[in-house]
Amino acid sequence: MPWYRRTYDWLERRLQLEGPIKDAVLHPVPKSTASWWYVFGSASAVLLVLQVVTGILLALVYSPSASHAWNILQVLNQQVPLGWFLRAMHGWGSNFMVAVVVIHMAQVFLFGAYKFPRELTWIIGVFLLLLTLGMAFTGQVLRFDQDAYWGLAIGASILGRVPWIGGQLVHLMLGGPIINGATLTRFFALHVFILPGTLLVLTVLHVWMVVKLGINEWPMPGRLVRRETYIQEYNELAHKDGLPFFPGAAWKDAYFAAAILLAVAICAAIFGPYGPTGTPDPTVINTVPRPDPPFLWIYTVLSYLPPEMETPFLLIVPPIAIAVLLGLPFVAGVGEKSWWRRPVAVFTVMFLAVCWASFTHLATSTPWSPKMNAWSGSPIPTAFLEHRTPLERQGANVFQEKQCRNCHSIGGSGGERGPALDDVATRLTEDQLIRQVLLGGGNMPAYGSTLSPPETTALVRFLNTLHPNYQPAASDASRAVAEQGGVPPASTVEPGNGQHKTQ
Amino acid sequence: MRRFGLVLLATTALSGCHMPGQPQPGPEVPRPEAVMSFAQLYGENCSGCHGADGRNGSAMELANPLYLAIIDDAALRNIITNGEKGTLMPGFGNAAGGNLTDEQVNALVSGMRAKWAKPNVLSGMTAPAWKASHPGDATRGAAVYAQACARCHGNTPQKPGPAGSILDGSFLALVNDQTIRTIVIAGRDDIGQPDWRNVMPGRALTDAEITDLSVWLIAQTPPHPGHPYPGTQPLAPHTR
Ligand code: HEC
Ligand code: HEC
Ligand code: HEC
Repeated sequence: MPWYRRTYDWLERRLQLEGPIKDAVLHPVPKSTASWWYVFGSASAVLLVLQVVTGILLALVYSPSASHAWNILQVLNQQVPLGWFLRAMHGWGSNFMVAVVVIHMAQVFLFGAYKFPRELTWIIGVFLLLLTLGMAFTGQVLRFDQDAYWGLAIGASILGRVPWIGGQLVHLMLGGPIINGATLTRFFALHVFILPGTLLVLTVLHVWMVVKLGINEWPMPGRLVRRETYIQEYNELAHKDGLPFFPGAAWKDAYFAAAILLAVAICAAIFGPYGPTGTPDPTVINTVPRPDPPFLWIYTVLSYLPPEMETPFLLIVPPIAIAVLLGLPFVAGVGEKSWWRRPVAVFTVMFLAVCWASFTHLATSTPWSPKMNAWSGSPIPTAFLEHRTPLERQGANVFQEKQCRNCHSIGGSGGERGPALDDVATRLTEDQLIRQVLLGGGNMPAYGSTLSPPETTALVRFLNTLHPNYQPAASDASRAVAEQGGVPPASTVEPGNGQHKTQ
Repeated sequence: MRRFGLVLLATTALSGCHMPGQPQPGPEVPRPEAVMSFAQLYGENCSGCHGADGRNGSAMELANPLYLAIIDDAALRNIITNGEKGTLMPGFGNAAGGNLTDEQVNALVSGMRAKWAKPNVLSGMTAPAWKASHPGDATRGAAVYAQACARCHGNTPQKPGPAGSILDGSFLALVNDQTIRTIVIAGRDDIGQPDWRNVMPGRALTDAEITDLSVWLIAQTPPHPGHPYPGTQPLAPHTR
């Protein structure tokens, strides 16, 4: 007997793992589960392993100290050979993991796989999703850059709104009243011990149940799940029309996992690591911090909520959403599995996907926040300044100096908080422009007290030139009448006493 | 063995050549006060008013070799740091509430010279000094205006010339005598304003004429500029 065989036997005699593993690997599964739709769960697990491995490598260098963290990432990016690639793999691995976990969840939901007897598998899956998001958030904090600072500040302000204990919660999260060194150590502990530990244990449980309960069969319209008969039906299906999990179904999982890892590596090589962006210094105000991709949509939602809705929304919606997810298998634990017969389920997924995509897209351009340096950094296109009088030119200076540009674009550059003003003169008459500038309204501040009369005049003269050549500026017909002393220009009526303008 | 070779190849490829994702040297987002490149400093802080290339902006043409020949570094530094009182030029220095350090202001000044200045633009002529050397006489300025400016800018604000009025009350309230002086001496070749040598048919304007002219022009600012009903008194005191 060769030496390795002997070692193996020696170990196996004591561990006795061969039987259970063989059982698990070779257990029959319904043929229909060997589908490309069933690869997301295993891919999530593979990504988890990738994150653990790259995470351990990063932890060898990282130090959770507020004064060092940012510099160490800089060292990793610049000096450690392939350190940047390691960071990029971990960062992109995180994005992919969140995405694949969410897709996995949507697939399980659409295939009715959460129904009897897999309710607990689903519930643990919900916690796995929350833990994955928790990992993504705490990981972003460890970067300890501007974005991390922003994320923490938002997180703290959300927690602070919890009635009665909000203050204590914030204190617990930040390790003090403000973001400081203790905050970072706290998140380090969460990110490398508490959350991954829980995540790994729950993953093992989750996979264990998948193996024990069998992989969900391909849903057929009309094949209803009944508590009394399901197990028997499933076993029949698995044995009559089944094949061993390995290699019958597993090779697709393997291919897909390899493809995902390759995709992570390609993204890492092309897009590189995340940040670190600016140092986490609250005195640097000229930044546009942005959360990592999984949280971009939250950024949009928070930005668009009217202020009075924020607290109720933040405190009520997440608990309800989690409760709905957890309650799902109890409410709809039996019955139809096929999406052909579950239109509400299909539309829910589609609706959420569209919302998510559009919110995320909006968050990448943040049209709601002013562009802080547009006033000094976005030139007014030459075409808008050609053949203008010196006064109109000064009006353009006022427009820039009063930072109107930060909210209003001209020629496609500038803020998007207010409407683009390229042809505002076709919409508003001179008087309406004056009113809008002096009184503001509808999310625009009033400038009545910060603009002097000459500034207002110059500004409005400039705004009044903003119309295409083929379309005249809007004008107020009654103005001409008023200038004629209240008489229409072509009128034959003589103005009466007192109708003359006294000048 | 072959697989090992592949891995080795991939690793060397990764570490050897520059992947697009590999971070550039230096932090991804440098601290704002660490930015020293002229293009970035100018682009983010000045181009909004002075134009993308220092030309064709709403404010003064800075890419004007003539202008750079008449103004010295100290005056430039002072204007950029503290702004120009009486105009819409804000101060950018830390002391004036802006966010440029002294070093960044210096970088701007030397960048402007390196990029836009030309030797021998004056071709032997001595231009009037950038700064007026004496107070000036407004009464004599009116005649200079009539001779040198009226044909393009008109005789009264009500009858502007082809280049638009510079006698308009609101316009005058937003500029100071230095603006006028700079524009008359250096001209603005981007928008068609001639320089001091060409503004008057036949001869160049003298330093004294330019001084008198700018004093006279600013003196034409009405007491309540920009007021829509000039005949009436404003209701409340202005903030400016
Ligand atoms: C904080 C951002 C913000 C700033 C700064 C701002 N605006 Fe606005 N502005 C808006 C918004 C938002 C609206 C749309 C108001 C509405 O919906 O009624 C608007 C509307 C306008 C309109 C009407 C446009 C239309 O099509 O009806 C004009 C004109 C305008 N702003 C001019 C200015 C000028 C001039 C300044 C600088 C003195 C300025 N704005 C500064 C946000 C801003
Ligand atoms: C908000 C618009 C605005 C911005 C931004 C701005 N300027 Fe100005 N600047 C003006 C105006 C207005 C004047 C006065 C002259 C005029 O009316 O054209 C002026 C004047 C100047 C002058 C003096 C011209 C003279 O009279 O000799 C200099 C030099 C100058 N700016 C440099 C800069 C530099 C450098 C920056 C960037 C750091 C900058 N400006 C940014 C509006 C601006
Ligand atoms: C040959 C015609 C011509 C003459 C003469 C002339 N200008 Fe101009 N000036 C122009 C033109 C063209 C403009 C640009 C108008 C515009 O587009 O705003 C201009 C603009 C100006 C501006 C505004 C510059 C700006 O940045 O907005 C001032 C101030 C000015 N001129 C002053 C004068 C003075 C003072 C004189 C007399 C010494 C004078 N000009 C003579 C053609 C002339």
